[in-house]
Amino acid sequence: MRLVERIHADVCVIGAGAGGAVAAAELAEGGMSVVVLEQGHRHDPDGFTARPPQMLARLYRDGGQTLTLGNPPIVLPLGSGLGGTTLVNSGTCFRTPPSVLDRWARDFGLDVSEESLRPCFERVERALSVSEVTPELAGGNAAVARRGAERLGWSHGYLRRNARGCVGSGVCAFGCPTSAKQHTGITYVPRAERAGARIVTGASVERVLVRDGRATGARARMASGATVEVRAPSVIVAAGTVYTPSLLARSGLGGASGQLGRNLSLHPATAVFARMHEIVDMGKGVPQSFYVDEFAEQGIVFEGVAGPPAYAAMSLPLTGARHAEAMADYPRLAQFGVMVSDSSRGSVRSIAGRPLIRYDLSGADLGRFRTGLSHMRELFEAAGAREVYLPLPAGVSPESARARDLKLMAFHPLGTARADARATHGVIDGGLVLHDAEGVYVADGSAVPSSLGVNPQMTIMALATRLAFTLLGEKVPACPS
Amino acid sequence: MADRSPPHDSLKEFVASAPPLQRAGMRALIALARRPRGRALLARAGAADQLAQVLTSLGHYDDPAVAGTLGWDAEAVVGRGRALRRAEGRA
Repeated sequence: MRLVERIHADVCVIGAGAGGAVAAAELAEGGMSVVVLEQGHRHDPDGFTARPPQMLARLYRDGGQTLTLGNPPIVLPLGSGLGGTTLVNSGTCFRTPPSVLDRWARDFGLDVSEESLRPCFERVERALSVSEVTPELAGGNAAVARRGAERLGWSHGYLRRNARGCVGSGVCAFGCPTSAKQHTGITYVPRAERAGARIVTGASVERVLVRDGRATGARARMASGATVEVRAPSVIVAAGTVYTPSLLARSGLGGASGQLGRNLSLHPATAVFARMHEIVDMGKGVPQSFYVDEFAEQGIVFEGVAGPPAYAAMSLPLTGARHAEAMADYPRLAQFGVMVSDSSRGSVRSIAGRPLIRYDLSGADLGRFRTGLSHMRELFEAAGAREVYLPLPAGVSPESARARDLKLMAFHPLGTARADARATHGVIDGGLVLHDAEGVYVADGSAVPSSLGVNPQMTIMALATRLAFTLLGEKVPACPS
Repeated sequence: MADRSPPHDSLKEFVASAPPLQRAGMRALIALARRPRGRALLARAGAADQLAQVLTSLGHYDDPAVAGTLGWDAEAVVGRGRALRRAEGRA
């Protein structure tokens, strides 16, 4: 081991995604000395090409091909670099639903409420310029879904997003070429740097360092083989739901409750295509700009998805000549996603340094997909679709679909180091500190104790904001109206 | 800088970024899909055939010449983004 550098700081933050970047900026601006260790790299938007295969390779872990093992296997794309998955997500911003917060208070003993988190959400929304997508920017895909929802009388609306100066480039998931999407790599990370935080990229953290049950820092290996050690009395682990449990486990932390790496929820999702009479041009406009929440109480939400031809071609559920024929009519293709607030639970563990993610879809969630796909077909038919392409094998109807028939992706892994006030039930407590070590905190999706039913980035950022102000010993300031 | 790399190269980059086992599997599928006998073999294996199609179509429709006929011009999207960033002084 070649120790090249030892850095002293008040706080070491591991990961610069939704949780880590927010905590780092707030702490640095509050006067603490902060070092951020980020495994990925700093991406220059001049290198964004709007070409899906290249951007998958460059902006995602494992080229966006992280897979779960189970029935069915699920593709779980994870962002890589400053900004983490906020770099490549659709930018959708929902506050944690009040019903979920009530459940966390009741079932996990957490001190959370709509009122107590309000200043955190307001602060994050202000920092990220969150606002509702305009119909002009929403694109043809949203217009199709809106027409269907209106004809059926289903609840719907335009989504709120963290974007400023968006012109609807259509490639949120492949690197925003205008830097309109306000991901944490271009918002909170620069704020942290301006306030004096040191950001170390390309740093693979090997261990969180603890002595006598108290955090002393973290050790990371650089690509060159050199080792960097940060000495800090507080360590915030924010490596993401898939990687945080492995890091804690190899540091000998978080294991007392037996919950580390368990309770994985994903919001599994699939997408339906339709061939319309009109020109849709799904590649133009905001890909995820519209939602239908008529069935949210059943755990089913519809959200827009769209992209360039290469993206559409790889997700279009047809083969051979039918695929080619539909793709030749790409300008008339519309697509919309079905996302399930899952009751299934999986697990994450590490084998030879790589995450092994187990997840089987439960019967209840299979039922949600059957219902969701039927309703999605209904939506497109109401919108006037010529043909609807369900993501099922030929001859399989939504009603008869089995788990293995589904083609699923997931974008919201949560829960693998879940918060619970009881040390026997959770890895961290309501203050996000480990039950079995002082000064080690978790501030990413792994802390979120249950499926949310909505996109999680705001929840993660709000919790990270609250943690930062707790460490600063201050109340989260109210935002001026 | 707009990227004009041919689709074959961009697909190669995508495959190279996959975890080792998937990478090997995808290379084998692409090789099969490029040969008539391989395609015949794949046609008898539903899931593998679908995966092969995902890969080949990802490469095919990423080709600027093909995407252009469908109304998608990646270079123009990137160019407009760069101009806006410069004009508005964004990162």
